[in-house]
Amino acid sequence: MGMGGVTRRQRSNLLGAVSLVAALAGLAFGLPALNHALPSDRPVPTDRPYKIGGGVTVVPPPGSRIDVTETRPADDSGTVLFRLGPVRYLVSVQPYDGTLPAAVARLRQRITGTSGYQVTGTELTVATASGLAGIQGGYSGPGRGGRYAVFVADGRTIEVTVCGDDLDLGRTLPAIDASTGTLRYAPERAG
Amino acid sequence: MTAEPRLRSARSAPVQPGAEPDRGIWRRPAFWIVIAVVLTGAVQMSLIAVRFAKAYPIALITATALFALLAVPFWFIVSELDFLEREPPPLLVLAFTWGALVATAVSIPGSAALDDLMAKLGSPHLAADWGAALAAPTVEEIAKALGVVAIVLVARAQVNSVLDGVVYGAMVGLGFQIIEDIVYAMGAVALAGRGDQVEPVVTTFLLRGLLSGVWSHTLFGALAGAGIGYLVVRADRTPRNRLGVAMLGVLGAWASHVLWNSPLLRDGLGNGAVALLAVLMLKGLPPLLLIWLLVRSAHDREADYYTAQLATLDDPELVTAAELEALRSGSRRASARWHARVRAGLRARAAVRRLQRAQARLAVEISRGTPDLSRRCQEVRRHRRMLVKLGHPEAVVPAGKGPWRRTASAAFSTALAIAVLWAAVSTLGGG
Repeated sequence: MGMGGVTRRQRSNLLGAVSLVAALAGLAFGLPALNHALPSDRPVPTDRPYKIGGGVTVVPPPGSRIDVTETRPADDSGTVLFRLGPVRYLVSVQPYDGTLPAAVARLRQRITGTSGYQVTGTELTVATASGLAGIQGGYSGPGRGGRYAVFVADGRTIEVTVCGDDLDLGRTLPAIDASTGTLRYAPERAG
Repeated sequence: MTAEPRLRSARSAPVQPGAEPDRGIWRRPAFWIVIAVVLTGAVQMSLIAVRFAKAYPIALITATALFALLAVPFWFIVSELDFLEREPPPLLVLAFTWGALVATAVSIPGSAALDDLMAKLGSPHLAADWGAALAAPTVEEIAKALGVVAIVLVARAQVNSVLDGVVYGAMVGLGFQIIEDIVYAMGAVALAGRGDQVEPVVTTFLLRGLLSGVWSHTLFGALAGAGIGYLVVRADRTPRNRLGVAMLGVLGAWASHVLWNSPLLRDGLGNGAVALLAVLMLKGLPPLLLIWLLVRSAHDREADYYTAQLATLDDPELVTAAELEALRSGSRRASARWHARVRAGLRARAAVRRLQRAQARLAVEISRGTPDLSRRCQEVRRHRRMLVKLGHPEAVVPAGKGPWRRTASAAFSTALAIAVLWAAVSTLGGG
């Protein structure tokens, strides 16, 4: 029976539509809220190599924790995000069949493609303890600075990006540099 | 003359003729709420589009053009599924828009959050292996199924058979598929790090448009839509049964999506185009066959119902017994058009199509109990006169297997589709 010009059918229609919006809100806001409510960092042993994926390992810097939301190991690729307080130390391994300069140009383009970010200073040649040759440079963005390095090894590119504010970077970069120096490509042999 | 009591449609009663869409739709609160939700989704997706347009304008235009072109044949096929009782275009547009703007806007944060939750509650390894297979299908299939629910809330009278649910579900899926493909293409451009280049767009088009397009969201959406269509039209069944079938439809869509995204057979069955095609078939064919059988069954049931309505007229100028037979299936309707073309030329083919459409509209009007059928009858008679003038008075299927040209055309189309698939696989490095 209608009430104040609103019919029973309109009321049930409204109820259905409100339930629909609630279900959408659950997906769009409920899941992210639940995700934010749970911690994303985990302790990680810093005295042994960590398997990033694609046959690449690195010894994490002392005091770092791993962020599981941006860490995805796989057979032919992988990404790991270490956090040292507010500093992000990201290592990404991807299949790649180009040269080192092209790989560096690709990462530089991605950095400068983000609004407000630019590459600073000159690039340096670096090498890891295992003999991987790479190129390293710096960049800056709104309120934060960073460091990038790229290595190429046997059909893989290893990209390292570090970012944080200048004070935190100054404090943690020596440990991160030491960690980057432990990058090793050692593909597991089948059989 | 009355309808036979043992018709498939009579046994399962899947067809509930609805009224012509009218302005009553505006008086439904759901209409305005759904419009508000669509506008919110449009704002969200526009923000993403603006970001892409600033960074990679040429790539964005290319991706939009390529995937919009891909949408055309899909739209045509989906809207033709229900030839006899066609869905109102504004509702088809609403379904497409829901998939393109609402389901995508909801799925981007929802899927990412669920993927993260898998890493947090399980492990990064679990998320890396099964995140794409479980998180995305869970959020996306629910968001798309809600699109069919939205159509039911806005225009319940237009969902009057399981096939209608299939059509709306497929349209929601198509909208989602097209926008998701564009977003993926732009992601590939950004990842390539070579600036505003179209090459990653073309690769994404080959991979997601041509190789994965057939067994993608349009298919999953159709499966979920069938379940919701059953829930709506089977008023004769218990609520538990109807809800169970609806859940089964959505679960089927989810399972098909999980199978497609799963890491199973990720390393393939070896190297080369044949191995890659075999994996595509193994993962994509089961849901494709399932939905094909479902559509065929739903279509035949609906055709039974509407041809029974036409049979009550008992007027050979409106519809003959042979034409009723031709109207019962899509392939027979197409055969009748080919037959007309072979016998009397292209104009006769077009005239048969118009006659079939007019007969379908008349059947729907009869099913609605419209007291004055004169306008629809005149429409049919007008097309009949045209056919008589062209020397092909009856839209019938020829005896035997049908015109050889149609068989040859079907064989050519299949060969062309396989060649395109093969070329795409080879271009992507499978050959």
